[in-house]
Amino acid sequence: MSDPWLFLKALSGAALASMLIVLASVLVGRRLGLMRQNWVAVLASAVGLIVGEVVLGLRLDWPPANGLDRLLQIVVPAVLIVELFSAFSSVPHWCAWVLRLSLAGAIPRILLHASVYLSRSGGEQPGLKSAADLVGYSALLAGTWFLLWWLSQRSPGVSIPLALAMAIQCAGLSIMLAGYVKGGSAAFPISAMLLGTTLAACLLTKLPAISPLIGIGTVGLFGLLFIGHFFGRLSSSSALAMLLAPLLCWVSELSPLRNRRPSLVGSIRLLIVAIPLVAVLVLAKRDFDRTMAPLLGVDDQSGVSFCSGIPCCSRPMSPSYFMLDL
Amino acid sequence: MRSHFIGLTRAFLVGTVCCAAASSFAADEYAYDLVHSSVSFKARHLDISWIHGRFNEVDGKFSLDRQNPSKSTFELTIKADSIDTANKARDEHLRQPDYFDTKQFPTIEFKSTSTKAVEGGYEVTGDFTMHGKTKKVTFVLKGGKEHEFKDVKRVGFSTELSLKRSDFGFDKNAIGPIGDEALIIIDCEGVRK
Repeated sequence: MSDPWLFLKALSGAALASMLIVLASVLVGRRLGLMRQNWVAVLASAVGLIVGEVVLGLRLDWPPANGLDRLLQIVVPAVLIVELFSAFSSVPHWCAWVLRLSLAGAIPRILLHASVYLSRSGGEQPGLKSAADLVGYSALLAGTWFLLWWLSQRSPGVSIPLALAMAIQCAGLSIMLAGYVKGGSAAFPISAMLLGTTLAACLLTKLPAISPLIGIGTVGLFGLLFIGHFFGRLSSSSALAMLLAPLLCWVSELSPLRNRRPSLVGSIRLLIVAIPLVAVLVLAKRDFDRTMAPLLGVDDQSGVSFCSGIPCCSRPMSPSYFMLDL
Repeated sequence: MRSHFIGLTRAFLVGTVCCAAASSFAADEYAYDLVHSSVSFKARHLDISWIHGRFNEVDGKFSLDRQNPSKSTFELTIKADSIDTANKARDEHLRQPDYFDTKQFPTIEFKSTSTKAVEGGYEVTGDFTMHGKTKKVTFVLKGGKEHEFKDVKRVGFSTELSLKRSDFGFDKNAIGPIGDEALIIIDCEGVRK
């Protein structure tokens, strides 16, 4: 898992698997309706995620023992099911949103289950503050989810899931740089399956169905940031910046951009979303150099690692190898 | 009336004597003395040297029955967050989910299930819970000498315990150059309650 080459294999494996599922759907029916497009998107996401996790060699416990286990084995499958159900043309929007909001309400509680945040040493029930906090986190997730979905209805475009994929990848790297390598590595299959599904869907139709991808992407992003913050050392400001960054896609609704070519609008959206993400990554790297690099005997400036004080090898600074030499 | 009173007095005296005798044979209860105890550990680094660390917040209690050692019990609770390897950044990293995951598993616990007297101490078997996994472990607690200081009875034990981190659900990928096996060294003093 700590090999950058392995991360790359997981990324490409997940993306390729998702793409293949979407492209294979053409064999089933040449012109897919919106409902079937949504189903294919959910299926491609699920397959891509599984392939990515297998390639990455993520070992998960059942029953889930920690936040990451619960994210990948309860929360992500739950959002896939919700999106699969919501894809039925007979299911009205309000009904789909009742399900989505219920899930958003449950996710923070699921991720913090049996942790110090919910249990007191004497086995007391969580206090009012914990309950209020949980409601707040759920509202944050639901709000982000709804705003991205609403934007996709007003001004559809693949830039929204691509922005989510970018934010997820950035979240993974930041979590790794903060010292939680396994948690951060889980971002690779999630972002890759979003990327693979979106790009393959673009090849098939000009306006692919992205509603399920928004749900899966938003929940994946929120879940990673949540465990990275509460169980790892990801700061709340970084987590919040990365969660809200995809909402900058709304900038395209400003009047000067509103009626521009879709490709231009999409590019502008991605560019604007990338700005805070890059800033967060730079800060995460700076923090890593200050706190973690000395543990490795790595010279901040040169990226040269030292063995017994003597420079013995030179390799690019990567979050992966700091785990190797605690 | 008089015979009734004598009967009651006798019963009271017999009861008092029995209680006194029973209390002199009952197990002594001790509380873990944090000031004069330590729980430390060491693990191999790159298989060439040892990394040392300790846990600063430990609590526990034990009951010692000299007459019937099998009735003796030992309990220890270590606060995983209190890990201290003399390097703040490394401690922060060890608290994260790749290692101890202290927000999910805040304590490391031991609770004895059986005890027997052996030469120089006690052989203790019990449940050791770390990182959410419980395993049965057996070790020899050496010592048990008592000392009364300023009217407070104290007893001391020490032991070394070898554990494999992979047995307790630590991610095998995170084991890397830090050896899988960790040696836990416990030196504890108990203060009679």
